[in-house]
Amino acid sequence: MSFRARMMAPLLALFVGAVGYPLLYAFYLSLTSYRITHRWDTHLVGLSQYNDVLHNSDYWSALKVTGTFVFLAVTLELCIGLMIALALQRQKRVRDFTRSFLLTPMFVTPIAVGLMFRFLLNQQLGALPAVLGHLGITYDFFGSGNALYSIILIDTWQWTPFMVLLLLAGLEGLPKQPFEAARVDGASAFYTFRRVTVPMLAPVLVVAILIRSLDAMKVFEYVYAITRGGPGIETQTIQYFTYQTGIQFFRLGNASAMSYLLLAIVLTIVVFLFRRIERSRRS
Amino acid sequence: MTTLVVPRARRTKSFNPWGHAGSLLLVVAGLVVLLPFLWVLLGSFKTGSQLNDPTLIVFRPNLANWRDVISSGILQAAGRSALVGVITVSISIVVGSMGAYSISRYKTGGSATRFGILAAQVLPPAVLVFPFLDMAFRLRLNDTLAAVVIAHLSFVMPVVTWFLIGFFDAAPKEIEEQAMVDGLSRFAAFRKVVLPQVAPGMGASAIFGFVLSWNDLFYALILAPGNAATLPVRIAGFNTFRGVELGSMCAAILVSIVPVLIASFFIQRRLVRGISGGAVKF
Amino acid sequence: MKAITLRKSAIAAGAAAILALVSACSSGSSSSSAAPTASAGISADTAGTVRVLMEGVPDTDIVKGLLAEFNKKYPKITVNIESIVYDQIRDKIVASFQAPTPTYDMAIIDNPWMGDFAKAGFLKPLDDYIKNTPNYDYQDFSAPLRSIGEVDGKTYGVPFYNYGLGLIYRTDLLAAAGLPEPTTLAELATAAKKLTTPTRAGIAMQPQRGYKAFEEWGNYLDAAGGSIYGSDGKVHLNTPEAKIALNTYIQMYKTSAPKNSLNWAFDEALRAVSSDKAAMMVSYNWMLPTLNKQGGPAGALAGKFKLATMPGGKQILGLWDWAIPANSKVSDAAWAFISWLTSKEGEAARVGAGGAPVRTSVLTDPAVAATGGGADYLATVGKILGNAEPLCHGSSCDEMINAVGTELNSAIAGQKSVDAALLAAETQANKIQGQ
Repeated sequence: MSFRARMMAPLLALFVGAVGYPLLYAFYLSLTSYRITHRWDTHLVGLSQYNDVLHNSDYWSALKVTGTFVFLAVTLELCIGLMIALALQRQKRVRDFTRSFLLTPMFVTPIAVGLMFRFLLNQQLGALPAVLGHLGITYDFFGSGNALYSIILIDTWQWTPFMVLLLLAGLEGLPKQPFEAARVDGASAFYTFRRVTVPMLAPVLVVAILIRSLDAMKVFEYVYAITRGGPGIETQTIQYFTYQTGIQFFRLGNASAMSYLLLAIVLTIVVFLFRRIERSRRS
Repeated sequence: MTTLVVPRARRTKSFNPWGHAGSLLLVVAGLVVLLPFLWVLLGSFKTGSQLNDPTLIVFRPNLANWRDVISSGILQAAGRSALVGVITVSISIVVGSMGAYSISRYKTGGSATRFGILAAQVLPPAVLVFPFLDMAFRLRLNDTLAAVVIAHLSFVMPVVTWFLIGFFDAAPKEIEEQAMVDGLSRFAAFRKVVLPQVAPGMGASAIFGFVLSWNDLFYALILAPGNAATLPVRIAGFNTFRGVELGSMCAAILVSIVPVLIASFFIQRRLVRGISGGAVKF
Repeated sequence: MKAITLRKSAIAAGAAAILALVSACSSGSSSSSAAPTASAGISADTAGTVRVLMEGVPDTDIVKGLLAEFNKKYPKITVNIESIVYDQIRDKIVASFQAPTPTYDMAIIDNPWMGDFAKAGFLKPLDDYIKNTPNYDYQDFSAPLRSIGEVDGKTYGVPFYNYGLGLIYRTDLLAAAGLPEPTTLAELATAAKKLTTPTRAGIAMQPQRGYKAFEEWGNYLDAAGGSIYGSDGKVHLNTPEAKIALNTYIQMYKTSAPKNSLNWAFDEALRAVSSDKAAMMVSYNWMLPTLNKQGGPAGALAGKFKLATMPGGKQILGLWDWAIPANSKVSDAAWAFISWLTSKEGEAARVGAGGAPVRTSVLTDPAVAATGGGADYLATVGKILGNAEPLCHGSSCDEMINAVGTELNSAIAGQKSVDAALLAAETQANKIQGQ
C-alpha cells in the first residue's frame, strides 16, 4: 500500500466501523414507512418519504430559520472571534489565564447554557432585564420577532471562544517572515491585516467557518430549553423539527428522510463553495 | 510559495490601533463571559426563594445546593465524561492527523472522502441514535460507555480531521521536503518535522474535540447506562417536573467548568502557543 | 392497623395458593404476553429485581420512601428506581421497549403516550393481574383516570398520580380586593385584572408554544363551557366556546399576565407566584401543598394559597400510569410492587405523605388529610378529579398536542387571528389522529 493510503487507512477503517452501520441503517429507514410505534407495519416505500418531506412546508420553514441562524451567528462569531484572537496574540501579560478563561463558555453543556439564559433573560427573575429596567428599557427577549435573535446571541456567547481558539492557533502558527517584511516596508496595520494575515490564515478561516456552520446547524438545546420552537414556529430549527418528528412523534422513517435530504442540500452547498474557493485561490 | 508584493508605503510611523483598543476589547470580552458565570456563582449559594430575586448580591451563602450536587454523584459523572472525552479525542487525534496529512498533501480519496466524513456531522443525533443503539446491542456493548465513545467518534473524528487538514494546508511543504532530502523517511518526516509545526492546531483540535464530547447530551442519554451517567445528563436532570432546580444546577455548572478550565490552561500553554521562533527558514 | 391487616391477609392468600404459584415464583413470569401465572395475588415469596424509570417529582421521592415498607411484605423483590427528566423518560423507555433485553422492567407512562404505546405492543395487558389481586377494588380509582389506561378494551396501566389542573390563588390578595372566588371565566378575567399592580401581575400564564399552551388553555376552554373532544370522538376547536376562551386568554395575557412572558412555562409561573410577583396561576393541583409548606419555595407566603376548581368546575387532567413492558421478564415481581403501592393502603400511605391522589376512597379519609394537605385541599381535588377531561385520547397524542399548541401560541403572539388559529388547530388535530 502506498504511503498515502497507509496514512489514510486507520481513519477510514475507524469511520466505516464506527459510523458506517448507523449511517446505512438510517438511510435504509428513510426508504421505509418506519414508525417506532408500528414496527411490524414497516415496508419499503422508496422515495415517497423524501417526496413527503419536500412538500412539507414546516420543513422548509425550519430550513429557513436554521439558515438565518447559522448565517448570522457564524458571521458574528467570526468577526468578534477574529478581533479577540488578534488582541490575544498581542497580549503581553497574563496570557495563559486570559486565554483559558475566555474559552470557558464552550465548556458548559449547551442545555445548561440554554437554561441559564432562560432565567438570566427572564423579565422577573433575570439579572439582565433588571439592569435594563433601571435604564428604563423593557425588551421581550423571547417575544415574537425577537426570539431568534436572542438565541443567536446565546450561541455567540457560547461559541465565539471556538473561533478564538481556532484563529489564535492559526495566527500563532503563521511564519513571522512576511510580517517582518511588511513592517520593514512600513505597511499600515490594516494593510498588513488585509493583505498578509487574512490570505495566510485562509485555510484555517475556511475550516473554522465550515465546522462552526455545521455545528450551528445542529442547534437544538437552546430551543429545547427556552422556546420549544416558538413563538409560533419562529425558532423551530431543523434539528428540533427532526427530533420532534422522529423521536417525539415516532415517525423515524420520515425523520431519516429529512436528515438525508438535509445532508444532500448541505453537501451540495459545501462542495460548491469549496470549488469556488479553490478556484479563486489558484488564480 | 507565495511572493509578497508590499508597495512602498510612505515612511510614516505605522499606526497601530491595537494597543489600547485590543486591551479594551479583551476586558469587555472578559466581562461578557464573566457576568453570566457570576450570576451562576451567586445562584449556587442561594436558596430557592432567594433565587427569585435577581438583584440580590449580598446575602448569607447557603451550602445546601453544593451538598446536594456533590452527593448526587456529579463528580463521578464528570469523571466519566472526562474519560469518554479523553479516549475519543486521543483516538481522533492519532487517526485524524494521519488521515488529514494524507488528504492535505496527496488529496487522497478526493472530494468524496473529504466531504463524506462530514456526513455524520450533519446528520442529527435524533436520527442516528436508534441505529447506534441497535449496533451497540449487536456488538454487546449496550449500556456501556464504549458505546458512547463510538457514537462520539462519529462527530469528533471528522471535526478533528478537518481542522488538521486546514492546519496542514497552512504549513509550508518545504520543511518536510527539506527533511526528506536530509534523509528522513516520509513517516519520520511527518512525525518529527510536520507535527511539531501544527502543534498549535493539534492542541486546538484536541480542546475542541474534547469539548464536543464533554457537552454531548443526547447520545450519552440513550446509550450509556442510567447509573453511570455522564455530566450533561446529570446536569439536565436538574430540569425536573417541579421546576428547574436552579441553585443545584448552578453548582453543577461550576463543577463542570473547573476541570476543563484547568486542563485547557495547560494544553493551550503547551500546544496552542506553539513553538516560539518557528521553524521556518526562507 | 391497616398495614398489618394487609400483611396477614396476603400471607393467608399466598399460603392458600402456594402450590399453584411455586413454578412461577422464583424467576418471575415469562416474557410472553400470555396471561400471568398468578391466580390469587402475588406470593410474598416472589423474588426479582425490578428496574423502573421515574420522573423527578415529589411523588417519586415519596415512593422511594415507601420502599422499605414494601420490602417488609415482599422481602425478595428489589426495586431500583432511576429518576430523570420528562422528555428523557420517554426516549429511554422507548429505547428499552425495542431492545432485545429490556433496561426497565416496569414503567410509568404519561397519558399522551398510552394510546401509542399500547397499540404498538410495548405494554402488557393487566386485566388478569387486576382480576386476580384480592381487595384491589379497581373501581375505586376515579372514573376519568381509569379510562386513560384502557385502550381498545384492555387495561394497560393503573393510575399512579394525577396531575389535574386547577386555579391556585392568594387568599389574602383576593380578600383585600373584595373579590369572591371566580365562578365563571369572565369573573376570572376581572379578578386577574383587578389584582394586577405595577409590581405584581394578576395571573402568571404559561403560553409557551406546544404542550404548555395547550395544557393551560384547555382549562380556559373548559371554563368557557366547551371541551376538546366532541361526542363523536373528534377534536372540536372551531366552536364559539373555544373562540371565547382564546379571546379571553389573549386579553388576559395582554393585560394581567407578567410582561414579556410569551415563552413562560411551569417554572417561571411557579417562581412568579412564589415570589409575590403574580397573584394567581392555573397549575397542577398538588402544587398547593408545596406552596403552602412552611420553609418551602414560597418563603413568607406559605399558607396564603388556596386551590379552587377552574371557574365552572371543569378542567384538564393528566395522569401517570404504572405499566409493565411487554418485554419485561419479571412481570410478577413488577405487579407485586404496583398492586401493593396502588392498593388502598398503599395509596393512603402515599397521599398521606403528600402524593397526588387517584383513588376516591382516600379523598375523604381524615387520617390521610391530616398529613396530606388538609381536608379542604383533598375535597377540592375530589371535585377536580370528578369533572375533568384528559388532554388527549387515542393515538399520536404528542403530535396532536404539539400542533394545537403551536396554533394557540401563534394566536397569542399575534401572528394569526383567533379564528384562523382555531380552525387550523382543529383540522390538523383530526388529521393527525386519523379522524
